[in-house]
Amino acid sequence: MEVGFTLNGKARRLDVPAHWTLLRMLRDIAGSTDVKHGCGEGVCGACAVLVDGVAMNSCSVLAPQVDGATVETVGGLAAGGKLHPLQAEMVMRGGVQCGFCTPGMVLSALEAVRIGAAGSDEEIRHSLAGNLCRCTGYGKIVDAVAAYRDGEAPDDVPADAGEHEHRPEGGGSAASPGVGVGH
Amino acid sequence: MSDVEVEAGSRIVGAGIARHDAVEKVQGQTVYAADFALPRMLHAMLKRSDYAHARLRGVDVSAAEAIDGVVAVYTAADVPQNTVWVDVPGQTLEVGALKARSNVLADEVVRYHGEPVALVAAESEDAALAAVDAIVVDYEPLPVVDDPEHALDDDAPDLHESGNLLAHWEIEEGEVEAGFAGAAAVVEEEYRTQFIDHAYLEPEAGVAWRDTDGVITIRAATQVVEHFRDVARILELPDNKVRLITPYVGGGFGGKEDMTVEPYLGIVAALTGRPVRMVWSRQESLTARQNRHAVRMRYRTGADAEGRLVAMDIDILSDGGAYALLSALVLLYSTTCAAGPYRCPNVRISARTVYTNHTPCSAMRGFGGMQVALGYEGQMDRLARELGIDPLEIRRRNFVERGDRLPIGQELETVVELPALVEAVGERAGERPEPSGPRRAVGRGYACNLQSYGRCIWLNDWSSAWVGFELDGTLVIRIAVPDIGGGQASSLIQIASEVLGVPPQRVTIHIGDSALNPLTGTTTATRQLYMSGNAVLKASRELRDALAGVAAGLLEVDAERVEFGPDGVSGGGASVSFEKLLAAAASVDVPWHVLATHHAPKGIPWQADESWRGRVFPDFTYGCHAVDVEVDLDTGGVRLLRYIAGHDVGRAINPVSVEGQIEGAVAMGLGYALSERIVFEEAQNLSTTFSQYLIPTAVEMPRIESLVLESGEGMGPFNARGIGEPPIGPPAPAVAAAIHDACGVALTELPFTPERVATAIAVAGGGDGAG
Amino acid sequence: MFPRPFDYARPDSVDEALAALAANPGARPLAGGQSLVPMMSLGLAAPDLLVDLARLPLAGSENGGGSVRLGALTRHRELERSAELAARAPLASEAARFIGNPRVRNRGTLGGSLSHADPASELGTVALAYGGQAVIAGAGGERTVDLDEFFAGFFETAVGAGELLTAVELDVPGAGSGHGFHEVAGRADDFATAAAAAVLTLDGTGAACATVRLALAGVGDRPLRVEAGEAVCAGAAIDAPLLGRLADAVADAVSPEDDAFISAGYRKRVAGACAARAVESAWTRAREAA
Repeated sequence: MEVGFTLNGKARRLDVPAHWTLLRMLRDIAGSTDVKHGCGEGVCGACAVLVDGVAMNSCSVLAPQVDGATVETVGGLAAGGKLHPLQAEMVMRGGVQCGFCTPGMVLSALEAVRIGAAGSDEEIRHSLAGNLCRCTGYGKIVDAVAAYRDGEAPDDVPADAGEHEHRPEGGGSAASPGVGVGH
Repeated sequence: MSDVEVEAGSRIVGAGIARHDAVEKVQGQTVYAADFALPRMLHAMLKRSDYAHARLRGVDVSAAEAIDGVVAVYTAADVPQNTVWVDVPGQTLEVGALKARSNVLADEVVRYHGEPVALVAAESEDAALAAVDAIVVDYEPLPVVDDPEHALDDDAPDLHESGNLLAHWEIEEGEVEAGFAGAAAVVEEEYRTQFIDHAYLEPEAGVAWRDTDGVITIRAATQVVEHFRDVARILELPDNKVRLITPYVGGGFGGKEDMTVEPYLGIVAALTGRPVRMVWSRQESLTARQNRHAVRMRYRTGADAEGRLVAMDIDILSDGGAYALLSALVLLYSTTCAAGPYRCPNVRISARTVYTNHTPCSAMRGFGGMQVALGYEGQMDRLARELGIDPLEIRRRNFVERGDRLPIGQELETVVELPALVEAVGERAGERPEPSGPRRAVGRGYACNLQSYGRCIWLNDWSSAWVGFELDGTLVIRIAVPDIGGGQASSLIQIASEVLGVPPQRVTIHIGDSALNPLTGTTTATRQLYMSGNAVLKASRELRDALAGVAAGLLEVDAERVEFGPDGVSGGGASVSFEKLLAAAASVDVPWHVLATHHAPKGIPWQADESWRGRVFPDFTYGCHAVDVEVDLDTGGVRLLRYIAGHDVGRAINPVSVEGQIEGAVAMGLGYALSERIVFEEAQNLSTTFSQYLIPTAVEMPRIESLVLESGEGMGPFNARGIGEPPIGPPAPAVAAAIHDACGVALTELPFTPERVATAIAVAGGGDGAG
Repeated sequence: MFPRPFDYARPDSVDEALAALAANPGARPLAGGQSLVPMMSLGLAAPDLLVDLARLPLAGSENGGGSVRLGALTRHRELERSAELAARAPLASEAARFIGNPRVRNRGTLGGSLSHADPASELGTVALAYGGQAVIAGAGGERTVDLDEFFAGFFETAVGAGELLTAVELDVPGAGSGHGFHEVAGRADDFATAAAAAVLTLDGTGAACATVRLALAGVGDRPLRVEAGEAVCAGAAIDAPLLGRLADAVADAVSPEDDAFISAGYRKRVAGACAARAVESAWTRAREAA
């Protein structure tokens, strides 16, 4: 069947089998491989997208259900050649390791800050429950979200990896090359 | 504490710079294994066994083949070489070298739930799934072996021709019984650990195609590009006709160390001539990919009145599951680390791993060295209580030092900074928190560990790297390293940048390709920074030395006075751009690149005989952790309040990446401690979804504080030690100690689920008076 | 993996939806889909036809005198985050926070959750602790079912074949009352080991409890009221010894089954602890409000 929706600001009209999930449609027809398939059961959050501004697990939404909706993925966040400030914080603070949870994590965190569900570290952690990360232990992600919430995030970090300035001072709590115990 | 020596100054090494790969990852631009597509690509899927142990009477694929869009359905008979043979080192001659077999597709008998039985290739995923559904397998159920204690009984069915003993190691040093006879205190306990899953976020995936000159090219998520050789054997092709590429991998932790999708992709590409993609579902991954070994450990430990260890008797039984894979090596790690980072003159270790019908077990972060931490640290806490000695003090009295030998015979060559770590962690921990309410109790626990980095030395490990300039002064690193998320590639960029002066953003690294990049070995065993880092360091230094000689002529200074900066070389007040330097180098036949190889230290080759003793690993990393918990005395729930993880990393190449490894490993260790377990019922895996297999979320995790000590001693580049695996050992024993401290119950079986904690509290009298 | 093929219909009215459901015995209604779609992906459900309720006018809430009417398509997110609903039906708001993860709550619906009737359903305990009516539409028109009669068994409800749950009317008590909810789970976003919801009304003196409605999840084949626990509280002042007796009474009254992950005995114990904590919260809130 035909599904018409807006994907990262562009109108799309796709022919998709009704039993396909939004995740399959985005990855295999729309080419949005920035949306990740982690579990297919609505638990890991790697496939999170924003549908009409609301975060959802695209594995648990059927493609026809977004007919007429606006869909945003993590690939649509950077603008004007600069990373979204939350993305910049994630990079600078070491919130990205293998990167597979990152797209969903960023979108869930973005929603949490937007709706006021990231007021404290504890609130951030509850808002990110269901975005599983196996690499970081979550601390650096929570720090990145808190910094973004507090408006500390830079908005001038290039989105092109080749142009990316490595900032020794911006890299989180261990930025200084300390010698000995305790940094 | 030793002084740090950094030969090449410290411009980039030691800086917590942002990783180059993070910029693309945070935008979803990284093309992971499942994100790649090819024209006319087929989709492959596996039919997996519903039974844990059954004879295959027949596999009827006719209905599947009849489905529109199905191109091929393969069973064991279609695989050119269906049997995969593996080495099983260990002190057992029954199995021995190249004697353990597994199958690409099950042949005659399935031995675990989820074992691949048939392989489907179709024009669409929908057709492939329909075909998998349509395959009819006629099973004759066989009795399952699901208790390792009984696997060696006479009446247990043999799962393999060699019997159910997969491997064993026996160590005896000193006079063990005499040691116990002289002990002031002897504590004895049995500890049990569970099966767990790696549960990285990226399920197993890849694509394959037949490329020019008949080379079967596989682009898959793997920790080991050297598996191209295994695929070649399966396809009965020469090794040089299979190429394995690995893009950035969405987590490995040992779960992508054995092959996953690679053989199936190779088969479809070779037999159909079409490109193919295979992506495992999370449920397949949880059902059938190899696990961490469940281990039963019996420890008897004796100490004198001052708490100094006098004897240990350790019996380890590990459940290897249905096929050998890496179980024998995992058991060697358990054996090597069984006594912990402690001196003891009289030690007996008996370790066995056996076949059962559980999912095969193999590599996972910590690789046998981590399960035993629950045992040796549990024993130290018991001795401390028995003798009335502070738990950190009793450890201090027993730590190994440089020059000591582990029971297996390995001498410790580098400094052991455990006393400094214990002091620093104890100081950081400070005051204990107060309980948040009635019927809540708080407690603190400590645990220390040692974990090797680098592969077993008799494997003659080596790593190669190519480092070269481009004409515009940018730098290229070529190295077949798989980057599984730990910053393996970015650390190499930092090392080359440090030596050659080119800023990191002007360095490009080509990774993970077995055909076009120098082979550097597996991203396993906490060896990549150590081995590949040394290879890149060596190549960079040789390149610098060669070009410095050319620059010396241009600058009219001694070669030692030539400095490499972002834009070129300088010295004696003058400077020359890289472009000019490279042109000058070409004119005198000095290449712009170097291929260098780093070799790990050698030792006495292992022999299959009980008297063998010797060096097993290059070196070890040591740690001390502390945790505060709050126990809900009514429900048994354990809340993690605070976590401190101290390690001597020798030298932190990138402190943010070091912290990332520590925090991530601790989180994984805490999931192991509290919630993760694969539950089997008669060898049927019941933990096949992410809603049943509970890895921690951000809510359960406390803030994990990394305490990084840099002793300046280690065998990696700039004297770094490996840190990928070591921090996973202490969390479980630290949590056990903290729960005991909170409410007086001594737990010995992982995970410490609320039910187990509550049951122990009830048995102990309800936790009244705890606190 | 992903769902196997099915037919899909997206009716514009309740009548059209009912007709589509009635015409195909293999049809299932699709609301938020946060249980159904994953179940289809896991191969645990394979309907012939999905009737998507998205266009039906079943969202929104209305206040009655002593009740609040919630449309079946009210999302968990709305229950959790709407200040108005939190003031009117605070137990629903509190319990909703324990459902799944934030994205599941963004999409999942009250009607879908109740109709799915998972034995561990948080909203099932809310429905039972408040009490009230389920509004069910069928070919013959609308009927109402007392919420006490709504859950009929293991994943079974009073909603019959070809019918739809369209709204729920919760009886919300006025002044002199309080609510409590407590859940124990293996992890955030895990199914409840046990969960308890309580709605407590003080007697005229304000010093004792007149009635408590107490509902448990995770400890039987369906969400259920535990009258043995309610009886312990009725007419009494809630104090620590009473909460101990309540916990014991609830543990005795429920009969969960052993499974491979959690024993029946532990679930009983946790059920008692959850009940005691829910009632304690309800008591404290009622007394503070009085």
